[in-house]
Amino acid sequence: MSNRILPLELIDKAIGSPIWILMRGQTEITGILRGFDDYVNLVLDDAVEFSPDPRDKSVILKKELKAEILLNGNHVAVLVPGSKGPDDSLASKA
Amino acid sequence: MRSLYHSSRKQEKLTESITMSSEPKDSTKTPAEQSAAAVIENKRSPADFLKAVLGRPVNVRLNTGTDYRGVLACLDGYMNIAMEQTEEYVDGQLKSKYGDCFIRGNNVLYISSPTR
Repeated sequence: MSNRILPLELIDKAIGSPIWILMRGQTEITGILRGFDDYVNLVLDDAVEFSPDPRDKSVILKKELKAEILLNGNHVAVLVPGSKGPDDSLASKA
Repeated sequence: MRSLYHSSRKQEKLTESITMSSEPKDSTKTPAEQSAAAVIENKRSPADFLKAVLGRPVNVRLNTGTDYRGVLACLDGYMNIAMEQTEEYVDGQLKSKYGDCFIRGNNVLYISSPTR
């Protein structure tokens, strides 16, 4: 028996709990993780999107989608299990 | 045509995974029973989601930030999408309406469907 944890096992453990997703580019998304597949396409509940305002890129807009979403795995860069997003992270305290 | 085919090879694998579902293989259960079991477990794989949203009103966000809202007529594992009664929103402003529209899957950032 090994104690190694594979990356996808780590994501599997996060199912049912909040997750924070950093996309390629500036977009970030949080929500409750419901499921995923081998390509890290993600199903999220109560998703919230943080993306730059198209008129002023220095302003980040928070948009509550109030919906279940299927997020394309192509653009996923980093997953942070257990975090509710930028507002709630160590980053906001730093 | 040939180069288009090759550029979509990666997407092809995606289809396989979605159509085959990521649930553990259990030859004694039909795919329907497996996805029912997944719902009981409160897990929803991308494949389950795709089945559930057919025919429902959805909002599709593209990489460019453009939104398309309409009734989802048809979609596949590439996330290629056919929609009806489509409204196109650029920077949140309604730009135009289409009776039918097709969106190539590589442009799709996410598909959202209002929770019941």
